[in-house]
Amino acid sequence: MSRALGLVLLGAVALFALAGPVVIAADPAAQDLSAILHPPSPQHPLGTDHLGRDLAARLAHGTRLSLGLAILSVLSAAVPGVLLGLAAAASGGLVDRALASLADATMALPGLLLVLLVAGLAPGKVWPLWLGLSAALWVQYFRLTRATAAVLLASPEVEASRLLGFGPAYILRRHLWPRLAPPLAALAAFGVAGAVMAIGALGFIGIGLRPPMAEWGLMMTELLPHYHDAPWALAWPSALLFLTVLGLQLLAGARR
Amino acid sequence: MLRLLVTLLLALAALPAAIAEERTLRVVSPWEITSLEPSRAGYVFTRMEVAETLTGADDGGLATPALAASWTVSDDGLVWRFRLREGARFHDGTAVTAEAVVAALERARAAPGVLGNAPIASFAALPGTVEIRLTRPFVALAAFLAHFSTQVLAPSAYDAEGRVRAVIGSGPYRVVTVEPPQRLEVARAETWEGPPPAIGRASLLAAGRGETRAALAESGQADLVYTLDPASLERLKRNPRITVIARPIPRTITLKLNAADPRLADPRARAALSAAIDRQGIARAILRAPEMAATQLFPPTLAEWHVPGLAPLAHAPEHAEALLAELGWRKGPDGILVREGRAFRLTLRTFPDRPELPVIAAALQDQWRRIGVALEVSIGNASEIPAGHRDGTLEVGLLARNFSLVPDPIGTMLQDFSPGGGDWGAMGWSSEAMARALAALSATTDAAERARLRGEIAAILQAELPILPIAWYQHTLAASKRLAGVTLDPLELSYRIAAMRWAE
Amino acid sequence: MRRVAAAAARRGGQAVLVAVTVGALSFLLVHLLPGDIALRIAAGRYGYDLVSVQAAEAVRAELGLDRPVLVQFAEWLWRLGRLELGVSLVTGERVAAEIARQLGATLTLSFAALALSIPIGPALGVLMGLRPGGVLDRAGLAVASALRAVPSFVLGVALIILVSVELGALPAAGHGEVENIVLPAVTLALGLAAVSSRVAREAMAEVRAAPFFAFAETKGLTRRAVLWRHGLRNAAVPIVAFLGVQLVSLVEGVVVVESLFAWPGIGHALVHAVIARDVPMVQGTALVLGLIFVLLNAAVDLACLALDPRAGRR
Repeated sequence: MSRALGLVLLGAVALFALAGPVVIAADPAAQDLSAILHPPSPQHPLGTDHLGRDLAARLAHGTRLSLGLAILSVLSAAVPGVLLGLAAAASGGLVDRALASLADATMALPGLLLVLLVAGLAPGKVWPLWLGLSAALWVQYFRLTRATAAVLLASPEVEASRLLGFGPAYILRRHLWPRLAPPLAALAAFGVAGAVMAIGALGFIGIGLRPPMAEWGLMMTELLPHYHDAPWALAWPSALLFLTVLGLQLLAGARR
Repeated sequence: MLRLLVTLLLALAALPAAIAEERTLRVVSPWEITSLEPSRAGYVFTRMEVAETLTGADDGGLATPALAASWTVSDDGLVWRFRLREGARFHDGTAVTAEAVVAALERARAAPGVLGNAPIASFAALPGTVEIRLTRPFVALAAFLAHFSTQVLAPSAYDAEGRVRAVIGSGPYRVVTVEPPQRLEVARAETWEGPPPAIGRASLLAAGRGETRAALAESGQADLVYTLDPASLERLKRNPRITVIARPIPRTITLKLNAADPRLADPRARAALSAAIDRQGIARAILRAPEMAATQLFPPTLAEWHVPGLAPLAHAPEHAEALLAELGWRKGPDGILVREGRAFRLTLRTFPDRPELPVIAAALQDQWRRIGVALEVSIGNASEIPAGHRDGTLEVGLLARNFSLVPDPIGTMLQDFSPGGGDWGAMGWSSEAMARALAALSATTDAAERARLRGEIAAILQAELPILPIAWYQHTLAASKRLAGVTLDPLELSYRIAAMRWAE
Repeated sequence: MRRVAAAAARRGGQAVLVAVTVGALSFLLVHLLPGDIALRIAAGRYGYDLVSVQAAEAVRAELGLDRPVLVQFAEWLWRLGRLELGVSLVTGERVAAEIARQLGATLTLSFAALALSIPIGPALGVLMGLRPGGVLDRAGLAVASALRAVPSFVLGVALIILVSVELGALPAAGHGEVENIVLPAVTLALGLAAVSSRVAREAMAEVRAAPFFAFAETKGLTRRAVLWRHGLRNAAVPIVAFLGVQLVSLVEGVVVVESLFAWPGIGHALVHAVIARDVPMVQGTALVLGLIFVLLNAAVDLACLALDPRAGRR
């Protein structure tokens, strides 16, 4: 039940991210200094911000950026993480030890710190955020895969398959993947949620992206001084952030 | 949950006890106490009236006595004598001697600050008098000595290596505790020989975010809050417990341009960038004060320097595009101007300590994009601008320039527009006419001649535009109605706490 | 004892890794910034006002900035290892001195947040776990899910608007009086509690369903005695182990919350330093935050070992 709700929420947000920038024709960066902080109107369905920019357009582009970047980061963390985890579990010995040490090195720093430092390298650009998030996240997939695969590879079923002559591809498809997929999916969903929040947090404290980029955290920090005159303006990005993260967490399941 | 409730209850219970003690005046400003050194963050201590300078200034910019009771100038204008105030003592009990003052002035001259721009030959300590000898006449010396970097601290304030270990000044308040970078607490100084101030204790909190300062004012948790963001200002004006004071002051929001950059070297390019700026829109929408749109560099409040007849800076995007086309720029497929294969991309540096600046930067970005100039905005620390000036990497800087750095604007002008430019002024630009005018202005006392020279300087700046004025500045203060006698110093030299009292 | 030593060795290794990672990233930061590297490094040692062309040249010669990058990096790490953290590019004060001042503020906030989160999180979670499926449990699930979806800065802003501005009950910023710590600590605590309450609930529900629990009840012990003697210690193990994970969100939360509430701690300093490209401060504050994280994890390790003697034997 909660899974379904999560799917609906996430689907709505994803739809907004994909179709929004196309359907909403307004330019998210176009300013109109004579029309600041207008409430929702036929011309601007969600109102305008403090520089007269259309909020609906900015939200749509911001959703695309935040969600897209988060998903991309998780993917670019998961793929190497899973592959390396499989490699570590399959090889054992020195390779396993080396990879585990690398994982420990990355895990030593809390994720946001790592992302902060990497983001400091090229402030305002998107790629350091992506790099920092991927670097912070890959370890989780590595550890999960390594632990699960190590146990599975030593199990009687896999041994039996091997004795029967089946190759690694079969073992991967038939034995490993079905057991890995569910926890990996849950991890990925949480990962995207965390990444979205981290991007917002960095935007809020002023290290993430810069004007005129539209991003939830950045929008919230820009609109905060105007919460009294235009509370809806601050509410939209907050609500979107909340719904996205909630949807992802519900989707991932009740289990922590 | 229970613990939270208990803490809340304890906090509320403690309030009556706090009121029964001497009430502390709580001041909030955006500027952190980055250091105890006078040349770095010395303004914190002069504004809280802990440390004094030789002179002060009135609202009109005329030098007034402070640590110096009076002063004389020799006929040739080269020897100034400042007589120290009788009975002035430092907070450690020792008397303020001419030697201590001379030591402070020497330190100020050696450190980055304004004294380096004054033609001082030597300092000398005579009994109860400080003598300053100049290399050439310099009318504004008294104004220069009001700058916070020239503050006088006791000899015991310095450690063995000559660094400040405690701020021991001579003002009506002394330091109780200082917790850099955020907090400062002061109390009435017993060594103050004048009438004791009505306010016995005061504290300063540095809060960088504009919304935080507004929240502190609104909730009554601070009594004096400076530098409010325009959005909060409207809301605070409607608050019955607060008096809002907004005064235009001799500060201008300007764009510092690197005139050595080949794209900006030609005055027409700079004029084009200036013409593309919608100053009215910015003043109305962002500053919420349409009359603040700059028509020239100096605001009308700087009556002597504001030239009424000067052709105002106008918003004319088509003219801007025409000028840039003259210089060989052509619009590329993405709408950005291209010349000899290079796109017209600039990076602007600004800082968030003044809440309007990042928003104005975003507005400029859009306005310049319309004429084909791509602007990237970098919001960082204020020191990135002087750093970029020194190593030549700065392209455009957005700041709010204080023209009464010393009460006489000539101080800022010398810092910003001398040959070689200044950290916050012109970069890669020099003008013989400007240099001559500034030199003449520093020396002459003839009123008519001074007016003519000021007009000449303003005209040069309006024509060549080494820096682009955007808007004039409003200094803002939200004061609790529980305070009486609150005034706002347009030169930002002092918070004037000693003149305030609690209204009962 | 061997288990303690093993845990200590592991965390010690992590501390070294933290230092190397932070040092490497700071080194990259210096070299990727525009402008003269030698000038920046010299300014990092002596301060911007005292630095001169001669000092920059001396640095250039000393570091041999035309030498291979690896050699320069080794030199950089060597300085870091000797804890020569340099001078802040913004204030000119020694980094070590600044951090010493800020450390107390951060630790106070962290402990206040942890302390506040325990009655809110695990305590409520245990109560929920005692009656799985009950009203408290369902309500708790809804609230916890909602709270987990709210980033700490949104929560902080909401609290400021609600409590500080509209009600005028607590200060929005500042440091020094008891009231000042309440809002930032509550913001952090709520975030922590949202997750730890669920963990506690799961752990308690499991314990409650376990045979030994029922047995203790049939033995004749009162519910409270059962809970206290058998339930809590067993439930505590996963909760305390989970504390290690919580520490991640605590350190991350500290950075954001300190910036929002202008709490003068290390997180606030780190953000300012990154914005200002004050590399010596970035390195120093990131290093300290990372080391605090490792230290707290080590403490959690020891606590787990103390609580569950079975854990070490593997």
